[in-house]
Amino acid sequence: MTENIQSTQQNIYKPAIMKIVGRHDEAPGVRTMRLEFQDPADHEQFKKTFRTGMFGLYGVYGEGESTFCVASPETRKEYIECTFRQSGRVTSALANADIGDLVTFRGPYGNRFPIEEFHGKNLLFISGGIALPPTRSVIWSCLDQREKFGKVTIVYGARTVADLVYKHELDEWQERADVELVLTVDPGGESPDWKHRVGFVPTVLEEAAPSPDNCIAVICGPPIMIKFTLISLKKLGFDEKNVYTTLENRMKCGVGKCGRCNVGSVYVCKEGPVFTAAEVSRMPAADL
Amino acid sequence: MTRILFSDKLDNCIAKWRSAGLTVIGPVQGESLSGYAAVEKAAGFEFGMVLPERPLKELFFPQTEPMLRYTIKKNEIDTTDFTAPQGKRIIFGARACDASGLAIDDPLFGWDYKDEYWFQRRNESVIVTIACTKADDFCMCTSLKLAPDSTKGSDVLLRPIDKNRGWLIEELTDRGREAFAIISDYLQESSEPAVPTVVVPEKFNLDACVTWLQNPENFDSKFWKEISMRCIGCASCTYLCPTCHCFDIQDEGDTYSGIRRKNWDSCSFALFTMHTSGHNPRSTQSARWRQRIMHKFNYFPGKFSVNSCSGCGRCSRQCPVDMGITETLQEISKL
Repeated sequence: MTENIQSTQQNIYKPAIMKIVGRHDEAPGVRTMRLEFQDPADHEQFKKTFRTGMFGLYGVYGEGESTFCVASPETRKEYIECTFRQSGRVTSALANADIGDLVTFRGPYGNRFPIEEFHGKNLLFISGGIALPPTRSVIWSCLDQREKFGKVTIVYGARTVADLVYKHELDEWQERADVELVLTVDPGGESPDWKHRVGFVPTVLEEAAPSPDNCIAVICGPPIMIKFTLISLKKLGFDEKNVYTTLENRMKCGVGKCGRCNVGSVYVCKEGPVFTAAEVSRMPAADL
Repeated sequence: MTRILFSDKLDNCIAKWRSAGLTVIGPVQGESLSGYAAVEKAAGFEFGMVLPERPLKELFFPQTEPMLRYTIKKNEIDTTDFTAPQGKRIIFGARACDASGLAIDDPLFGWDYKDEYWFQRRNESVIVTIACTKADDFCMCTSLKLAPDSTKGSDVLLRPIDKNRGWLIEELTDRGREAFAIISDYLQESSEPAVPTVVVPEKFNLDACVTWLQNPENFDSKFWKEISMRCIGCASCTYLCPTCHCFDIQDEGDTYSGIRRKNWDSCSFALFTMHTSGHNPRSTQSARWRQRIMHKFNYFPGKFSVNSCSGCGRCSRQCPVDMGITETLQEISKL
């Protein structure tokens, strides 16, 4: 095959080079990394385009790329944070990278949470396990301009105490007077000194019974949690139009070409990843 | 009067195009499967087949495409972009279905983010299509509202004259006119008639199929399980399809240097959509076949106003278990 090498051309598959400037272990096998752009032009482009809810492809040359959300908020664009569970080739390579090492980022892609439309409203964040990162981007995007929103309630659960991510931030939210944090672990997942709830997220949510009045709900979690949480929200009187979630399907290109992330006719990479529950309910359930 | 290119002048034309810097590509028998490849002499062409086994798309979206070369040193990553091979080329003797396939995929490779690998090759290629005077049982362009002499995606359309002595020329685009200006010395005026294009019978009612596919209730129809029971998930249909465009991105190399490649992938494979958690939205072969049909006749036209099928019939022709788009849409027509 003829393989001509040319100098830089517009190449949509070429990632930005990122330096790892911070690492934090969240839970067994779950790590957060803070990344900084090496090329100011890439950073400028990110600052212009990134809004909360968008995702990217994080990579290590020689291993490949993986898709996760941008876990940092749109109010803090000096860096990108991502949180991932080490489970495959790419995430293992990312997990093995040290502070100062270079990795790659392609994005930000996709749509976003329309947080201007949430101004003046109460916010209810519901999250399970490793799905807190996308929610956390929205939470901080709102808390960083706290005055624009009403009451903020966060319901977060994990299987066990050890599986809770962002523990230091959970403490911070716990201490804030302007945030109501409801923490829970699945029955059997509690430690002897656990002072919070024990129970599944939908049950705990129903007990907490947040009012649907003037309230936007943002839920992220494993499919089974989302399924039952939507039922609970409906019981509490939430309209599906006011419930937002984010879908995460396998992706390779991130830009609507590689053909795998669609649910029915909806391309998650371009029309998502953020959808209202009303939009999700119109998708063919068997394709989710 | 129409201009005509006699086949005995084709060697002269090839030489002329080549000296003008064009690579001349056309249908060739190939070592294992027939396909489109470069030739130096007219004798290298094989115009007798209904259509080559391998699709024209692979000249624009190759089976594997190097995108970047990376070199990693201490605290430094160097990357060099590969671009699509440079150089103009003329594809002489494309089939209408193959040429249409290129036009069908243009909007996909161009929406929002433009895939330069595709468009650079598109811009550098002149497509000269020869209208079909024969077909086989698998041809189904007419069922897709196309024809053996469709001009979609072509720069020049040639219509064969009697006894394979040459072709009448219909120039369709400026790019086509420019390419034929190069060989104008070898063209003659003629009033000879073209051989009629082959009649390809309609195999299914496309509109009825699309209506059925668009009905959300039919997404869960037991039809999908029944029709795809034989499917072994080999992906031949997607690889040989002139419009299937799904790909994977993989690195070939080690931690210090290597090449990032775009490779053909297929919705027929279970791993195609498998999540890290083990959850797979399309975990069964029937869900994957439904995806392929829905994508081609419901989702793709919903986005780009064109079906992602040009009726070449390769999916049925090459299927090891005798199923394909034709069989599926024929069954849907009966529902």
